[in-house]
Amino acid sequence: MDQKFEGTPQAEIKLDGRKLIRGDVSNDWGLRLQWQIKRDGKVIATPLARTDMEYVHDDKTPGKYEVVLQMWKYINYKKNKQGEFTESKFIDISNTVSYTI
Amino acid sequence: MLHIGNERVPACSGLDRRSFMHVGAAGMAGLTLPNLLSLEQAGAVEYDKSKIKNCITLFLVGSPGHIDTFDMKPEAPDDIRGKFKPIQTNLEGVHLCEHFPLLARKMDKVAMIRSMHHNTGTAHSNGSRWQMTGRDAIGANQQPHVGSVVSRVFGPKGNLPSSIVLPGKIGNTGGPSINGQEARYLGSAYEPFFLNGDPARSDFKVADLVPAQGQNEFRISARRELLKQIDSVQRRAETSTTIQRDSAYSRAFNLLTSTEAKTAFDLDKEPDKLRDRYGRNTLGQSALLARRLIERGSRYVTVNHFDTVFNICCWDMHANGTSLNNTYLDYERLLCPQLDQAFTALIEDLEERGLFEDTVVTILSEFGRTPKLNARGGRDHYPPAWTNFICGGNIKGGQVIGSTDRIGAAPHDRPIKPDQLIASIYQGMGIDLETTMMPGPGSRPIRLIEAEPIHELF
Repeated sequence: MDQKFEGTPQAEIKLDGRKLIRGDVSNDWGLRLQWQIKRDGKVIATPLARTDMEYVHDDKTPGKYEVVLQMWKYINYKKNKQGEFTESKFIDISNTVSYTI
Repeated sequence: MLHIGNERVPACSGLDRRSFMHVGAAGMAGLTLPNLLSLEQAGAVEYDKSKIKNCITLFLVGSPGHIDTFDMKPEAPDDIRGKFKPIQTNLEGVHLCEHFPLLARKMDKVAMIRSMHHNTGTAHSNGSRWQMTGRDAIGANQQPHVGSVVSRVFGPKGNLPSSIVLPGKIGNTGGPSINGQEARYLGSAYEPFFLNGDPARSDFKVADLVPAQGQNEFRISARRELLKQIDSVQRRAETSTTIQRDSAYSRAFNLLTSTEAKTAFDLDKEPDKLRDRYGRNTLGQSALLARRLIERGSRYVTVNHFDTVFNICCWDMHANGTSLNNTYLDYERLLCPQLDQAFTALIEDLEERGLFEDTVVTILSEFGRTPKLNARGGRDHYPPAWTNFICGGNIKGGQVIGSTDRIGAAPHDRPIKPDQLIASIYQGMGIDLETTMMPGPGSRPIRLIEAEPIHELF
């Protein structure tokens, strides 16, 4: 049987200086959980967020940083020849926080 | 206790070879296997008092690449070491793949065996038979599932089946579909109970717990009475098959009418936070359900992580571009996180409930995967080397047993075969393999398994 993931995971994140703090994920699908970090609108890092509730991104390059918590959403097995999923994707599961350096 | 003449002979649990032979001799003088089963069913054998520990097995269908997960080779050439990075665990000098961060913090609880191997074929079913039964036997010599053996020798503890398989039976994995999941010569009364439902779904129901349309408890009880009357007639021409059927019917009725059984399968009774901790996916919720079942009387629960390898996101990482198109993406986004979360949640949950020392937990798989990446960046079946885990029960955790060579191609030291691991599961459950026997084909008393347990685990 293929897996079906119901509901939508949700979490709240907040900022303490440059330290990111996340709450528990409700309706947690148990799939990859990551911080998506953008600088001036461009994704620059997607570190794992599963183990710790806090994270500090080391990069101090000047710019506007926006961060959101994401989880992989498995929709179905559809893939291209290279094995890349064509319909399953990462989705935002939290509010977005931002800071400027 | 079973009484034969003036001698008290223990039931199968705790029965030594000499006593079993005595039973066998008595059988020749009139006590046949059907008689023995009748005695058991009449309560002469006190199964409920057979004190052994439980077992929950997480079975990884398709099998993870050992080099990409639990036996990384960061110094090996590019086409061997793969894409993932190792991370330090809480055992000094022991590393796991970066996608097992939770397990990395629990390695002091588990024993990791890095020198698993077998040499009987590269089909999924070869490995599955080894790991489900302790032997790779087909044809007339097919062996019973370990859960069926436990069920036969130690019996039920209540209304729940002794051996349960979640969420369902392994189906098509390519080669011959003989995966070692049945009771075989032990008989239908000892078949595992296959759930055949996904506990992660909101509409999850156990088909066998839902009366057919038009049935109610009164009608079910009336049918049980009718069956008893028919049964008394049947007993005139009694065979072991009818007795087994009787037992199977009885179990089905018990399951259907038992509030305890219905409660055991009801995951809504668990706090949302705990359900989230296990992961709201088929593996996670099955692992949680396994704990509930063990807690309420099941002895051996097998959780299959997938029931096929075709057109499904699973561990079988061939990257072949068609129906077996799993790649590193599946591992890092879906598979490793699911296993990492479910396995560590199960350990924590059992510990918090004081059940960890009463429950052996294992991660088993069919084989490893080829050390060298194939042309599409996947890895193919590789029985000469892989890694499995065992913990809880009587098992000594916080250790790594065995190792592979520098490219993960073969055991470098302490090679371990699946039957040794199965023997270790039995011993981890507190079963003394020297004194506990089971009826083999034709009622001949045999050991539960010929191999010896892995001594480092105890």
